[in-house]
Amino acid sequence: METNIREVEHVLKAPAPHMVGDGFRVHNFFPSGYEIDMSPFFLMDYGSKIEFSARKEPRGVGIHPHRGFETVTIAYHGAVAHHDSAGNSGIIYPGDVQWMTAASGILHKEYHEEAYSLAGGAFQMVQLWVNLPAKDKMSKPKYQAIKQADMSKYILPNDGGHIEIIAGNYNDVKGTASTFTPIELYNARLNQGAKISFNFNSKFNTGFMMIEGSIKINDSVIANQDTFTHFKNKGEHIEIEALENSVVLILSGEPIHEPIVQYGPFLMNTDEEINQAISDYNQGKFGYIEE
Amino acid sequence: MINQFKNYLKEKIEITDEQFDSISADLKIKKFDKNEIVQYTGDISKHGFFVCKGLMRTYSIDSKGKEHILQFAPENWLISDRNNMNNEASIFFIDAIEVTEVVVMPNDFIEQAAIKVPCLQPMHTRLLNNSIRFMQKRINMLLSATAEERYLDFIKLYPNLTLRVPQWMIASYLGITPESLSRVRKELANKHFRP
Repeated sequence: METNIREVEHVLKAPAPHMVGDGFRVHNFFPSGYEIDMSPFFLMDYGSKIEFSARKEPRGVGIHPHRGFETVTIAYHGAVAHHDSAGNSGIIYPGDVQWMTAASGILHKEYHEEAYSLAGGAFQMVQLWVNLPAKDKMSKPKYQAIKQADMSKYILPNDGGHIEIIAGNYNDVKGTASTFTPIELYNARLNQGAKISFNFNSKFNTGFMMIEGSIKINDSVIANQDTFTHFKNKGEHIEIEALENSVVLILSGEPIHEPIVQYGPFLMNTDEEINQAISDYNQGKFGYIEE
Repeated sequence: MINQFKNYLKEKIEITDEQFDSISADLKIKKFDKNEIVQYTGDISKHGFFVCKGLMRTYSIDSKGKEHILQFAPENWLISDRNNMNNEASIFFIDAIEVTEVVVMPNDFIEQAAIKVPCLQPMHTRLLNNSIRFMQKRINMLLSATAEERYLDFIKLYPNLTLRVPQWMIASYLGITPESLSRVRKELANKHFRP
């Protein structure tokens, strides 16, 4: 058993924040903050908990396109509204997850939801960019809007809290979202003293984002709020103990071994595909939204 | 950064590393912050810039406070106010739209360098011709082209700037209102968008 323990590589502190538009103050853990391999997760922006003052004109990020990947937005505090050029819109409330498959192309804008903006208050979010394999990059865009009430849950014994299975499978509870490649993504909401364990394929890139509280991993390493724990690709078994009431975003996924070319909001396999994406965007092939 | 300028020259002329070293002593590397104003109207600047990384622009501000963008300079573009070549005051502002790294070139750089590396002179003439051709086309566009024609020409010249600068700057460069630019983009989307 001991030999199968999956060890911690690093507990990483949140890099200095930057603004995305005027609504999202985020710490980029990867790819710019730290050079760690988390494929199929290409990017993680962590919006640590801050208070936004009340404002009539909602803060946010203006119209921008995406192609070649998925954005996964996980709300903890505050609320985000979005609109896209295909006429879709929605609101992501605390506890909700929006899994947006941009794939062949989406043009959208993301803003603080109106009522939240008017009232102001705490705001905390994670946005992941999940890469798509070459064969699916140009598939049709789609949304999976997962409301907190509909989220798959595994209830921990002894009042330990619960685990929300956003994607994947935990103790035979199947995740709500469908994915293109094997991905495990959970929100573990743990009460102080709760002990849980996970088994992830050693080849899957794995990390824990500490949203709230503090945990002890494998009875040795302590991870506090706002840190990201990156695991070695060796061993499978991870044990954690909640040292206080904690929320942990758990990521594990099978890497996609394909070349990546990123330009701004596009994530493709070759330079030609990037140029095509820019040209398609300029030609209006991503559609149109009013400012 | 200086190597990028060397490579730029190597793509255009036969120049050895030794020749480049003999002329590069007068060049400096400089970094500008996002939104930093690098040159004001009225300045008599002694140098121009070669953009290694980032994005700059030249523009004027009219009596009503409106900005008019003359040129964008992304990577591998040269940018300066040519009035300075005659020791006359700048009529344009130059600023950095993004964090930008440049090679600072004295106004007489090519003239002086061509003494040591003669093939710089014909290259310089070719560049000036290109620049005049570009200006002629740009003036003609501003006099005679529709908003859509101007936009289509813009995305050919500067394909990725639509992702790097706000709409109002593109409208300012094209000499149209932001509303007209929105209309053009909407009409293009109506033609080409298949949800």
